[in-house]
Amino acid sequence: MSEYFKRTPLGEEIFFSSVRDPKFKHNSITVNFLIPLEEEKAAGRAVIPFLLCRGSRQHPDFTQLEQTLCRLYGADLDGDVSQYGEYQILSCSISSVDDRFALDGEAITDRCARLLGEIVLDPRIEDGAFPEEEVRLERQNLMDTIEAEVNEKRTYAINQCRREMSRGTRLAVNKYGTVKAAGAITPQSAARDYRELTSAARVEIIFVGCGDPEPVRQVFEGLFAGIRRQPVRHAPQPLAEQAGDPRRKVEHMDVVQSKLVLGMRPGALPDKRAIDAVRLMAYLYGGAPFALLFQNVREKMSLCYYCAARFDPSAGILMVDTGLEQSKRQQAETAILDQLGAIARGDFEAETLEAAKLAYTNSLGSVGDSLGAVENWCMTRILEGANYSPEDEAADIRAITAREVAQAAGRATLDTVYFLTGKEGTSHE
Amino acid sequence: MNEAIIKSPVLGEQYTQIKHPSGLTVLLCPMSGFSSAYALFAAKVGSIDTTFKTPGEDDFVEVPPGIAHFLEHKMFENEEGDAFQKYAATGASANAYTSFDRTAYLFSCSDNFPQAMEILLDFVSRPYFTPESVQKEQGIIGQEIQMYDDSPSWQTMVGLLESLYHNNPVRLDIAGTVESISEITADLLYRCYHTFYNLSNMVLAVAGSFDPQVVLDLCDKILKPQEEVEIQWRRADEPREVAAHRKAKALSVSVPMFQIGFKGEAGDTLQNLKAQVMDEILLEILCGESSPLYRRLYDQGLINATFEYEVLAGRDYLVPMYGGESRDPDAVYDAICREAERLCKEGIPADAFDWCRKATYGRYVGMYSRVDAVASLLVLTHFSGLENMYELLDLVRDLTLEDLTDRLGRDFQPRYSAVSIVEPV
Repeated sequence: MSEYFKRTPLGEEIFFSSVRDPKFKHNSITVNFLIPLEEEKAAGRAVIPFLLCRGSRQHPDFTQLEQTLCRLYGADLDGDVSQYGEYQILSCSISSVDDRFALDGEAITDRCARLLGEIVLDPRIEDGAFPEEEVRLERQNLMDTIEAEVNEKRTYAINQCRREMSRGTRLAVNKYGTVKAAGAITPQSAARDYRELTSAARVEIIFVGCGDPEPVRQVFEGLFAGIRRQPVRHAPQPLAEQAGDPRRKVEHMDVVQSKLVLGMRPGALPDKRAIDAVRLMAYLYGGAPFALLFQNVREKMSLCYYCAARFDPSAGILMVDTGLEQSKRQQAETAILDQLGAIARGDFEAETLEAAKLAYTNSLGSVGDSLGAVENWCMTRILEGANYSPEDEAADIRAITAREVAQAAGRATLDTVYFLTGKEGTSHE
Repeated sequence: MNEAIIKSPVLGEQYTQIKHPSGLTVLLCPMSGFSSAYALFAAKVGSIDTTFKTPGEDDFVEVPPGIAHFLEHKMFENEEGDAFQKYAATGASANAYTSFDRTAYLFSCSDNFPQAMEILLDFVSRPYFTPESVQKEQGIIGQEIQMYDDSPSWQTMVGLLESLYHNNPVRLDIAGTVESISEITADLLYRCYHTFYNLSNMVLAVAGSFDPQVVLDLCDKILKPQEEVEIQWRRADEPREVAAHRKAKALSVSVPMFQIGFKGEAGDTLQNLKAQVMDEILLEILCGESSPLYRRLYDQGLINATFEYEVLAGRDYLVPMYGGESRDPDAVYDAICREAERLCKEGIPADAFDWCRKATYGRYVGMYSRVDAVASLLVLTHFSGLENMYELLDLVRDLTLEDLTDRLGRDFQPRYSAVSIVEPV
């Protein structure tokens, strides 16, 4: 396998990865801080990217910072929080149009790299504290974000099932933390958490675009040289392979359409080939309109509006989620598990498996056409500790046999059934 | 075959515009270095097309709200099964969507492009509706409508359009209602199909990695020449004033969500597209992240990172709008209206105009390097009557402060505004 991205160390547990492709018109740079999820610290860390993106020592005024970004042809500066397995990932990124499209010949990319560096490493911390007013606002925004999860019911239901399955582990920790912990953030605690993050977290800087990554690498190498580092080493816990007796959770809310989520354990996954078999099986099961769940549970049996399967190898969770009428819950659950049983028995057409392989490899084929998809690809591979291309992955997927897919389905065990439905007596049947 | 090559000196790119003998306009933009292709086969028909007539008909026909979306769902099925099953043998990712004024069938693929293109042209050209299949679809779409009933972001949008418009069908949900779709029959679907899916009312746009000759050969093979149909749309009798300034409903949300919009004076599609570009810049100047008002509202805790703006523009409608979460949406609404009044009175600062125009320019340049965005731009500019796709970029570059000042005074007035709120239960 050839290396898809170029990765070089810039310091202790600090890495710079890049993909250069002349077909793009933009460049994107992201600084990711990776730290193990901790229930009591997640909120305090989650607020950091948003505080940083409000301004730096050289750009202390948010409005003036935004005006600078506009002058850089609408350069997009963003803070983000994500989760991969047991890691919380705090990111600040900037993306901008390449220098060759500047109307007045400005050096946009270099200015963006320096600006991002400044945002991440030269924040407005005075006397050991972030500005009080900024902390007050971002603390409230974080609390709102945590509470707003309930607004989109499909995502909420999936997250609830995932949390139920992972109770008592780091995987169950909300990437934004809890409302209570968010409410306790102070200007001083935010500054402490920031210092700890820059010292202890693994840092992954990713550049994707049409421009030259080397000057950007040099900018960050210089900036991080002045940071004192004491990186934490973390060994994630082995993932649960088998479910015990299925757990059931029902939640009532004022909704018209109910949501049923089935969380499963995928069995032992000793190597990449085993993981790929589950990935492909999930595609065949419920990853596309030709998949068994869509064709049977929705189209033939009319039990739901949507019915999809997905596999998250970082959490060891295979999940099916569906939107349906309350009265169809039991029938739908039985039908969903029946389809899994059918795959385990090898009771599927060779051409449907071929379709799943084609659809999967086709989507891999388009990864290289989007800046965001290329960056995601690199980040996921880095987290896996690998460096291979979407084409390599496509070849691996094509090599999976029908027997391996059936075995993958046979190993899956039902762990948790989560049901979100209308308030008793008010639900729409 | 009438063929023209359209070039952009700024981007160093080009595409080909072809008038196919069948009557279809074909827009082909091969993009060097890309691995995937994205195809859109679109008809100029959407949810607002509920009253129309063709020259042979005496009177306007009225069809149930939601029929364009229903038709889109039903097109995937014919005597031989459904198109998704055929796509499955190619690996292409296929889908379709219906908006207020457009219906589009699409696929993206990085392999087997000829096979996927053949499926697209074939199934969109062959309608097949039966009473049984229509009845089954009524159940499926009924569930889709229910799902959107629970979506607070969609409900704020629907509430805003209901507030701004009295009679314009843009105020109706794209999917219709459970009641309205129950009136749809196979005959009505055929009627709509034969009116709106005439090839002269459609466009095929392809961008990315593909062989243009393959597309043209398949068009020759599958598309039969059609007599051009002249469709008359009945323009709703829509007063200039809004129907209501405020509308609220309750759903399971953690904090109130809102949409604030201005009812633009809609012109023809080309005027509306040009107005859309200007409105995007005006929305940034008025309350974008670089504006003093954004700062004030953010500092007061009245808006947060969910605050964003967009412009909804199409045939007969034009709505610049802001949306997000707020503990006090009425205060946000009031502040935006006051700021619009102040800007009208005091004028747009020249420096704000300059940086907001630059930002919009950079964003538009980015769209020309994504296969899906290029195909969508080709369709948008064609249906809007813009001479070519690259003109959009020139439009942004050549805008003047006077153009913007004129737009601001025309539509950004409190009397043409409304707020739609979804409150916690």
